[in-house]
Amino acid sequence: MSMFSLVLQNLWAKKGRSIGIAAAIGVAVMTVVALMVVSSSLEASAAQILTIGRADFSVAQKGVAEVLSSNLTNRDLDNVRSTPGVASAIGVYVATENLNTDNPVFIEIGIDPSDLQAFGVRVLSGRPYGPTSPHEVMLGWRAAQNFGLHVGDQFKALGTSNTVVGIFTTGNSFGDSGAMFPLPVIQGYNRVPGQLTLFFVKVEPGQPVVKVQNAIDQTYPGMTTIRTAEQFGRADTNLVFLRAAVTSSTVLAIIIGAVIIGNTMLLSLFERTREFGLLRAIGWARTRVVGLVVGEGIILALIGSCLGLALAVVAVALLKYVPALRGILHPTFDQSAFARGLATGLGMAVIGALYPALRASSLKPLEALSRE
Amino acid sequence: MSDSRAGLAPEPSQGGPSTAAVQVRGLTKVYDDGLIPALNGVDLDIPPGEMVSITGPSGCGKSTLLHLLAALDVPTSGSIGVEGYDVVRLDHPNRYRREVVGLVFQLHNLLPRLSLLGNVEIAMMGSHRPRRERARHALELLVDVGLGSLADRHPTQLSGGERQRVAIARAMANDPSVLLADEPTGSLDTASVRSVLALFEKLRAERATTIVLVTHDPSVAEVADRRVEMLDGGVVSDSLFPAHSGSLPS
Repeated sequence: MSMFSLVLQNLWAKKGRSIGIAAAIGVAVMTVVALMVVSSSLEASAAQILTIGRADFSVAQKGVAEVLSSNLTNRDLDNVRSTPGVASAIGVYVATENLNTDNPVFIEIGIDPSDLQAFGVRVLSGRPYGPTSPHEVMLGWRAAQNFGLHVGDQFKALGTSNTVVGIFTTGNSFGDSGAMFPLPVIQGYNRVPGQLTLFFVKVEPGQPVVKVQNAIDQTYPGMTTIRTAEQFGRADTNLVFLRAAVTSSTVLAIIIGAVIIGNTMLLSLFERTREFGLLRAIGWARTRVVGLVVGEGIILALIGSCLGLALAVVAVALLKYVPALRGILHPTFDQSAFARGLATGLGMAVIGALYPALRASSLKPLEALSRE
Repeated sequence: MSDSRAGLAPEPSQGGPSTAAVQVRGLTKVYDDGLIPALNGVDLDIPPGEMVSITGPSGCGKSTLLHLLAALDVPTSGSIGVEGYDVVRLDHPNRYRREVVGLVFQLHNLLPRLSLLGNVEIAMMGSHRPRRERARHALELLVDVGLGSLADRHPTQLSGGERQRVAIARAMANDPSVLLADEPTGSLDTASVRSVLALFEKLRAERATTIVLVTHDPSVAEVADRRVEMLDGGVVSDSLFPAHSGSLPS
């Protein structure tokens, strides 16, 4: 008989309790993993907007709650363009519109047609819209496919019916799922004439991107540059809060889970006092007793974590059908999500089992054996 | 003594070299800050391979003496030497309990969820025996106590006497030199008492195990070579049974 088989036999002997603890761990792990996957999915969706334009980095208003609230002006754009090392900068207005229940956050980009090529837009069919033409729209090929529209068809957006004059691709699934409008038209519809959301900047060949970024960040305190998804929080404080919420949830889950496990294992300790007393009396070392109790916790954690990860996959899959999240949530379960789930489960088990284990190991054999 | 016992930090018992398996000198134990004296200057020598019964009325200190011999408790004063180990100053009392002495309790204290084999094997966990060797040895011990065919059963499927025999097999798992038994027949019927006592005699005869048998039952005490009678924390008589040929230590 090995220590492992002894641990399994001990857990099997109290099946109901073991299942209960594993289920508690599973629910906690599911919550943490699901939150993490949803958060990273939302983060990735939000950050995709930065990758539409084939730029070295983006510029947004600093410290806004969400990046689409970024309020930049043509003067800001001129300032960026005049920064040493900047080769070109394109200003776009980005908005979302709730078209219907299937498309609650449809992406609409306002961009001057002369900037389309520099922005990385390739017209697949039809033509670009006119610089100020009302009622003209270009659809990303994914959006056109989803709506079943072609060049010449009518597409209802911005409160009116628009003619699809072209189908485009940006090489980016996020951009290809949206629509592009003449800049003044979308600004007018949203009653923000002259307002821009983001600048997409390319640096001169040979210039260090970071150096140009720093120059803009230091010269214009109202603006912030973003190059990576991690830097996205600079222009989207909601994302920072979301990350903090996920971290807090993880810590809380570990604490609550550890308390539940610790409490249950303490109860088990009281029931097994004679057993631990016997083990000490027949020569078991304290470390071995600690190993037995913590080992039981770890096995439960592994079972609970596997259960939790499976539940998380199901829960996130179901979340995709929530109308408010449709089109936004593109969850991907990467290694870090699974690793974090596993670490959460193991963390709960080790923290929760440690105190009961130490109590069990410090029992005096004679006193423990005399307990009823 | 095997090398594996070196970590116990043995020290010679007081009084110079001794051939005794157990040597107790001036042993006192007082509970509750001096209010309850349990042992009052006990001296005792037990030669290797001897079976000694310790008898006396309840509260005379016989179980306390056994617990001190087993390093389950510490004395107030005095010295205990078992197989050359200074039991009062052990660095690793758990290793001493695992490797030098075997313990049998009045209640068998078997773990109900483990098989008989598992209950014996559990005493060897932490020893240097490989896992297969542990299982083989456990089965051998169960055969020795007459329960080899029931190795896969659980304690709840056994009679009281059979359970106690498993407990004795567990106590012998690490081949201890000294077996300490505290009222091992206290909760058994007459037939079971006979089978358990026969087992003790067998162990002494075949393995030359030193056996210290605490009992309040005079008929049980009679199986020993020698009877030590205690009263109020002290030894009041120490005598050989006529039927046995052992000799009292000087």
